[in-house]
Parts: sequence; structure tokens; C-alpha cells
Amino acid sequence: MKVIQIKDLHKTYSESEVEVHAVNGVTLDFAEGEFAAIVGPSGSGKTTLLNMIGGLDDPTSGDVKVGGTNMSDLKGEALTDFRLNNIGFVFQSYNLIPVLTAKENTEFVMRLQGKTTQECERRTIELLQAVGLGERINARPSKSSGGQQQRVAVARALASKPKFVLADEPTANLDSKSTETLLDIMEKLNKEENITFVFSTHDARVVKKARRVITIEDGKIISDVRKNGGE
Amino acid sequence: MITSISWKNVWRNKHRSLIVIVAVTLGTVAGVFVAGLMKGWSDQRVHAAIYTEAAHIKIQNPEYLNNEEISFTIQNYEKVKQFVESQSTIENFTSRTKVVAMAATSRGNTAVTLKGINLAEEKQVSDIHKFIVADGGSFFDVDHSNPIVISDKTAEQLRIKTFRVTTALIDSLKSLQVPNNVISIAQEYEGRRFYSKTKFSKAFESELTKSEARKYGSLITELAKYYHLRSKIVFTFTDMHGEMTYQSYRVCGIYKTSNTVFDAQNAFVRHSDLTKAAGFGPNDFHEIAALVNLEESTEKAEQLAISKEFPNSNVMTWRELIPDAAMIADIMDVYYFIIMGIIFLALAFGIVNTMLMAIMERIKELGMLMAIGMSKKKVFWMIMLETIFLTLSGSVIGMALGALILKITGYTGLDFSSVGEGFEAVGFAAVVYPNIEWGFFFGIIVLVILVGVLSSIAPARKALKLKPIEALRTE
Repeated sequence: MKVIQIKDLHKTYSESEVEVHAVNGVTLDFAEGEFAAIVGPSGSGKTTLLNMIGGLDDPTSGDVKVGGTNMSDLKGEALTDFRLNNIGFVFQSYNLIPVLTAKENTEFVMRLQGKTTQECERRTIELLQAVGLGERINARPSKSSGGQQQRVAVARALASKPKFVLADEPTANLDSKSTETLLDIMEKLNKEENITFVFSTHDARVVKKARRVITIEDGKIISDVRKNGGE
Repeated sequence: MITSISWKNVWRNKHRSLIVIVAVTLGTVAGVFVAGLMKGWSDQRVHAAIYTEAAHIKIQNPEYLNNEEISFTIQNYEKVKQFVESQSTIENFTSRTKVVAMAATSRGNTAVTLKGINLAEEKQVSDIHKFIVADGGSFFDVDHSNPIVISDKTAEQLRIKTFRVTTALIDSLKSLQVPNNVISIAQEYEGRRFYSKTKFSKAFESELTKSEARKYGSLITELAKYYHLRSKIVFTFTDMHGEMTYQSYRVCGIYKTSNTVFDAQNAFVRHSDLTKAAGFGPNDFHEIAALVNLEESTEKAEQLAISKEFPNSNVMTWRELIPDAAMIADIMDVYYFIIMGIIFLALAFGIVNTMLMAIMERIKELGMLMAIGMSKKKVFWMIMLETIFLTLSGSVIGMALGALILKITGYTGLDFSSVGEGFEAVGFAAVVYPNIEWGFFFGIIVLVILVGVLSSIAPARKALKLKPIEALRTE
């Protein structure tokens, strides 16, 4: 089942009378349960593509459909609400709320969804245990390492039970050991909960783990490789 | 959750938040204290207006208001009295006769209104008997004939009040361990008599050093004060038959209220004594002063009831008799909030500035919150709550400290005696007992929340203008 359908997507910026085609005619699908990496050099358009998939940026032309809903049809509060209930985000610099503990950061999106305290409690503990932080649920970001913070960010991204998770350079600030741990956790959650993960990355370790690698250059897809065979 | 984040956000930058909280605390303490002081003054003025000067309602002959002639007594007094007596909503009342007279002693003279009172009734309606000064005799607790209670001001005008250094005063100074040189200067004044406080203190203090004058000047002046009780005062006035007559009284008590004007105008004698010289009949009274049971009725209702029954009598409430006190009582409630409003308006600029700084520092985080699904409404709510918490924290501490200060000063009183003459000339007490009603604090909380909401608008608008994608790119 296709979770994300992208058709002839364009994003053009005008910089001092010069048009920059950040994304230039991308057509792409992601099925349920995929573990895919979008790779490419800096400025190739991978983050812009991810932002448009996540409804954070508007395309110049083309469509992004998530579970059958065309993102261009959603505006304002409806779009925010759609992101809340359908998309999980993991950012390069973790972006946790510094005044909240690991547990509070994780359950934050569920609170926004209006879930009950018991429901929040149960899923938060479950997710923090799944990312290996069952013992550190009351730790604040300032008392946690980069790897631990990014694991909390993954737990938060999954808390709302999204259709897919978008991770923008999730390992860029992590050391090898933390990267390894994080990737193992995401792979495990991908398999166990059948959640689609789409990364943008430079990191060879992420590329190695990904089961599908999409290479993008100058806003165009130049290769789309599935590791179990076929292109 | 949003409430919890907002509260925690207040403490992100402890140093900055504490500065704002301290500023709000000090502003609130100042506002509460000033409001308490104003309320104390206002309450004391209103209390004096009712219980010392006018009572709740006063019934008089309408002609007496235009011309204070002795013959303008209350018409149908007996019936009016019976009606007032029958009103269960009137707590107490008293009848008085009033004579405008010229008072003279061997050393001075002045004009006063002699009020002929019934002692037992008077004490039920007026608290004037509580204002007898120290060493100023008693409120008619004497056995000599024709006793009179005059004010400290009248005593000064009639030169019944003097300042003199006696052996007893020197002994007191010694026991108070006043330096010998000050005592020896005081001794030089033995046997001399001053009729004015200013003249005595000026003469005496000119021989002391500045610090000695500051330390002992007012103490010695106070100890030197002496009232010549039993002094004879002769009053000249027109009697009921239109004939000039005179009557002498002997001073039995000196009173002093917080209203110098009232004091200068009124002297109290027994109704029976005044009747003899003025020729009053048994039903000749100039005013009935009554206190209303305010739990059951209002002064306005009683005024209407009596006026309706006796259209030939003038019935006035204390609000009409002393309009300045009534005006103060009416505007005071609004006045407190004007004071608090001005203070919080000034603080609001600091709060807006602090919140704007807090928002500018969190642009990336706000972008993330909106990206993961926090609606703009919730972002606005979060910032507004944070501003309210910041303001409320300071004001709650400020209210507690302000209430404590009011509790203490309300018990001890604040003495403005050094500038008290000016206050008392317009009817305000020189010693103020600040107080405030609990409802005022409720009003402050509402005001603080309002200030919090208004102060959050600019920072919240700033946050709402952010686009998640742009905010997330901020470093």
C-alpha cells in the first residue's frame, strides 16, 4: 500500500533574478513499511523534498499525496492537524523542549492529540523502553547525550502513531556508536510497527542500513535502488 | 500540558525572570501599600463623618439650614421623635440643642456652637467622648456646675492651653535621662508661660543644638503642654426670646478629633444647663441625629421615610451633610485601581520586552512545535499563559508582602504628626491605620491577568507570524 505519492514535484526559488530549481520534477512513491534514504550532496534538494513531503514547504508545482490526501488542499490549522496525526519528524539537531523530561517530550504530541493520561503514559513508557531509555524517562535534554536526545526525538516522532516518519539528517551530530544504536532502534521499530521511515542523509552508515536508497542531484532523482533487488 | 510548559518556560532564564518578578513584586507592594493608606484615610474620614460629626441622618428645621437662629427648632418635635423611636431600623438617636455663641475668657475669645446634649443618648450616637486628650479632664465626669467640653483648638484660642516648664517636667526629663545641658536650659524657662505651641518650641529650641532640638524638642513641648481645667468661659448669645444673654461654664474636658475645623466650631454642654439660660421649652431641639441599622436598612431609605411623614422637616444623610467625605468614599474604590493600573502599565513595558526576548531566543523551538503539530492557537495560549505566570508570580508575592505591611501598619498606625496639621485642617487623621478589603486583592488578580494578556499580544503575534520551515532554519 502506497503511503506517499509524489508526482512531478517542483520547487523553484528566485535568488537575485536567477531561478534555482531546488526540486525539479520528482516523481516518487513510498510504500508502507519502507526504510528509505534520500542521499545526495549539499544543495541537491533532499531537505527541500523532505519538507514538501512533510507539508512544511509548498511546492511550486506538482502533488504530494499522503494516504490519499493531497497536501496542497490543506491550509493553516488543517495542515498542522494533519501533520500532528500523520507525520512524525526527527530533526538533525534533536529539537527537544529543554524544560521537559524525556517522558514529557515524548508524550507531548499525544497531549496535543488529546489522548488520555493513561494512554499517554502507557505508550510513552513503551516507546522509551523500545529506544533503550526506560531508565532515563525523567532526564531532561541538558542531562542527556546527543544520542540519547535523538532517541527521545525518535520516540516522540512515533508517539502519535504516524503513517510515516521523516528524518532530516538524524545522525549528523552523532558519534559512530550512537549512530549505530539509533539506526538499530529505528530499524527495529520499522519492522515491529511497520512504520515507514524516510531519511535525508549524507551518512554512509545510514545508507548501508537503508533498504531503499534514492539519490538526488540538482533536484532530480538520478537513482532509486532497492537493496532486495530491482531499481 | 501547555500550562505546565508555560510555567516551566518562565524559569528557563531564571535571572531574567527574577528581575521581572522582583519589579512586579515591588510595584505591587507599593500599589497595595498606597491603596491601603488611601483606604485607611478614607475609612477614618467616613467613620469620623458619621460617628463623630454627623451621624447617618440628621433631622432639622429647614429654616435652620439657611439661618442658624436659636428659634428655628424642629417643628412637631414630639411627633418626629415618636416616629423615629418607632422605626425599628433606627438603631440609636439623640436630640440636641444648638446655640451659636461668643466665648470669652480673661485672655481670649472665639465663636463656637454650643451643643446641648443628653449624655447617655449622645454616647449611643457619637463617639466624641472617646476623643478626650491625655491630661485633658473627662467627658462630663465632674461634679461642678455648668461643665463644658471644648476642643484643643478652642482651648488654644481661649488661652486655656498653655506651655510651661514646671518642677514636675524637670523631674520627668531627669528620669528620661535627658542630657543635663538640655535640662538646665529647660530650667531657665521655669515660671514662664506660653500660649502658643509654636512660640514655646521656637523659643526653647533656639537654645538647643539642631540634633538636640530634633531629639528632645517635641518631647519637651508635649510635656510642657498644660490645660487649665475648671477655667471659666463666659458665653454670650441670643436666647429664645431674642434677648442677649450670657452664661458661664467651667472647662471639664478637652477633646481633639482629626478634624480641626469641626473642633474649632463645636463645644459640648449638658442640655439641661443650656436650657436654663437659653429659655428652651421641653420640645425645643435643633436636631435629631440618628444611626441606622445598616444591616436592615439604608440611610437613604430612612431619609425618605421620615421626609414623607414630616414634609416640614429637613432630613439629610451624612453624604449631604459632609459631601467631601461622601465623595472620597465613592471615588476611592476606583482610585485604587487607577493607582494599580498606572503601576502595572509601567511594568507592562518591561514584561513585553522580557517576553519578546524570550520568544526571539526560542524561534527554532517554536518552529519545531508548529512543525510537529502544535496549532497557532495553542502556541498563542502557551505564550499568554507564560506572560500571565510571570506577572502573577511577582504580584502574588507583592500582594502577600503588601498585606503583611498593611497588617502591621494597620495595627501600629502610621504617624504623620509632623505634617499632621495640614491633614487635620481638611478633616484627615494625622495617624492613619491603613487597611484594605480582600476584594481588592481579587481585583488585583483580575488586573494582573488582564495585564498579562495584553502584554502577551505583541510577543505572541511575533511567534504566530513565524513559518515553521523558516523558524527551523534559525540558528
